[in-house]
Amino acid sequence: MIALLVVLSTLCGTLLASLLACVPSLHIYNVMGLLVMLGHALTGQGIELQPEIVIPFAAGLMVGYSMLNTLPSVLLAAPDESAMFTVLPGQKFLMQGRGYEAVIMTTIGGMVGLMALLFIVAPIAPRLLPVTQKVFRGHTHWILWTVIAFMLMSEWPKGGRLGRSGWTKFLDSWKTTGAGLVTFGLSGLLGFVLIFRTPIAPDVAFQNLMPAFVGLFAVPWLLLNICTNVHVPSQSMQIETHLKMDDVLRGGFAGTLGGGFAAYFPVVTGGVGGLLAGHATALRNDRVFLVSQGASKFVYYVGGLMLFFVPGVSIRRGGGAALMRSIMTPQTDYEYYLMLGAMAIAGVLSLLMVGPLTRGMLWLIGRVGYRRISMAALLLIVGLVVAITGLTGLAVMVVATGIGLMPVLYGSRRMNCLGVIMLPMACNMSGVGSTVAGWLGLL
Amino acid sequence: MKGIAHFVAGVAAASCVPEAVRAASEGNPTYFILGGVFGLLPDTIDFKFSRYFYSHDIEVTPDPIAPDAQYIADRVAEAINRAHASGESVRVKLNTVPVGLDQWQQYEVAFDVAARTVAVRYGPVVDTGQNLIPGSEPPPNAEAVAPVDCEVRIEYLSSTQVDIFDGPVFSMDPTDDGRVSPGFIPWHRAWSHSLVIGVLFGLIGGVIWDIWATAVIFGASAMHALFDQLGYMGSALFYPFHSRRMSGLKLMHSGEALANLTAVWFCCLLTFWNLWRAVPGGIPPNGTRVLILYGMVLPTLTITVYRRIRKRFAW
Repeated sequence: MIALLVVLSTLCGTLLASLLACVPSLHIYNVMGLLVMLGHALTGQGIELQPEIVIPFAAGLMVGYSMLNTLPSVLLAAPDESAMFTVLPGQKFLMQGRGYEAVIMTTIGGMVGLMALLFIVAPIAPRLLPVTQKVFRGHTHWILWTVIAFMLMSEWPKGGRLGRSGWTKFLDSWKTTGAGLVTFGLSGLLGFVLIFRTPIAPDVAFQNLMPAFVGLFAVPWLLLNICTNVHVPSQSMQIETHLKMDDVLRGGFAGTLGGGFAAYFPVVTGGVGGLLAGHATALRNDRVFLVSQGASKFVYYVGGLMLFFVPGVSIRRGGGAALMRSIMTPQTDYEYYLMLGAMAIAGVLSLLMVGPLTRGMLWLIGRVGYRRISMAALLLIVGLVVAITGLTGLAVMVVATGIGLMPVLYGSRRMNCLGVIMLPMACNMSGVGSTVAGWLGLL
Repeated sequence: MKGIAHFVAGVAAASCVPEAVRAASEGNPTYFILGGVFGLLPDTIDFKFSRYFYSHDIEVTPDPIAPDAQYIADRVAEAINRAHASGESVRVKLNTVPVGLDQWQQYEVAFDVAARTVAVRYGPVVDTGQNLIPGSEPPPNAEAVAPVDCEVRIEYLSSTQVDIFDGPVFSMDPTDDGRVSPGFIPWHRAWSHSLVIGVLFGLIGGVIWDIWATAVIFGASAMHALFDQLGYMGSALFYPFHSRRMSGLKLMHSGEALANLTAVWFCCLLTFWNLWRAVPGGIPPNGTRVLILYGMVLPTLTITVYRRIRKRFAW
């Protein structure tokens, strides 16, 4: 009976997340936040939440989302001509009519990430993590600062190719790099405002950063899709590339390394982890890059939640673990194994969902059109922001959109928008957050 | 080495300074940030600043619509001949050829010492990741040769591929024995990579912060120089006393994946070990051995076995 309950909960969580992951810009943490509110309401009415329901359902949500949210990010992220030097491999495949292939490669990466979590990380985590926790206690703040420093220093200038040497060439080259630095600074400032004097109502404080994230990352992308009217070629369902085992293992290794780093250290996201691992393993090949992105994203999201259940350490990393903590505290090995079992089931289920959902999405894009889907997605996320955080949230989103448009227009890294969380958190972790907030007149 | 290897090496250098670890555990990240920043700073100076102010005498801008290998070869040969005739350095800038959305026309410039020629050969079209674009063929008139008036002395690589972003500069430097030596991207690994400049940066850091900052900054700069010296190009280690780049040990190429990963991994282990040593109670008995076993021996064995399997089964 318990086994059936676990399987059913996993199935429900995976199916729900797989469908929601196809909605552009909808983040699983927003959905989990609403579900946690529902959980609190149920508990308030005396209904006890069984771990056999909650844990597999949460695992299903996280696995399904991590595996399937590749679909909108690949199939709905068409670049225009201005993005000449900043096209990601997924976008490149899409513009060659091979979006399906890119989705499959990313999914393979996700599966490698799942294998790595289940067969390498899970057995050693209970023995390894107590040691690492002891060693890194008091040191995570400088690790975050060094990650920020590397992020900012590693964005190389893209312009300044032609002409005589001198200031003109220098300034031309620094347009992108400078835009990246300004983006990081402005988003960091926005983060300080949202953390130290948030205009968002206290009853939805758990969604405090949601309007900012939507504005920084989702809205600029959708606006660009709507404004540029880019033509996306019809997509083939055939796979032309022969993915070698070496590509899978190299990409999977790099992605697992990056995702694992991001899952373990606070505030570092999967994208940042992927960037670090990509540099460390000198990734250049598009196929390997796609596999690594799939693995990195999977290990970051699912690994972050898994760490919460590691017996004896119960590390709280990422929004998923933070939300789970408000409804349960894992205490036994049983919950850990429940989590691992649910991850395995959800992995298989979500893998089965990739093909049909990709076909469905491509059919929808072909029928409705790229521009209209982007408009619908924009309306949906604006509606969600207003529904959850009100008009104040909408105002925050508009400000964040202004900042988020900078990397899009200047061709710098969009990752710099993560300053919204990295800068205030790094200051807080070093114990100077309040001082800086005081300088900014936020206290 | 890639930027991240230098950055992490700088962080590892900082972790070797006990005061840096103590300060970090009390919430002061300064030394570790200094380590990372000064580990990467020499390349930052070169690639974000110096290159844009480094002037050139001849600029080669290939036509993306009508490729002409002879034009490129003639211009490079002209730079060598001018340097030989005048006895002064002549700098030639080879521009890249963007041909479409994330597409670049690749070409190769080679110095044939025996034949006394400059050879240019157009290659395929590649993307920004330097991956070949399927179906792209080298254009017509794809190869050309231009004679030069003197012998060429090769100190780095005899051929260079030009493809993405900003193309390279060669400084054609006359040598004492009447030859001309093509210096590849002469603005790179010059003064910024000098150990003397590292000491200077360290002293400035000492004035701004303290003596530990001096140690961290110099350690990070020295690690950068050490890592670069393992490759081919080398660095001007003792600028301003010796301005020419000292040849590298030629143990690896800077872009090699395994070399970079090994460097990053080793530096991470060193940092971890230094932090572990500083934990109250220190490293337990056998702790270091376990770290070496699981952190170095086991990964080395795994990679060795994997490489053999890959070779055998042609993965």
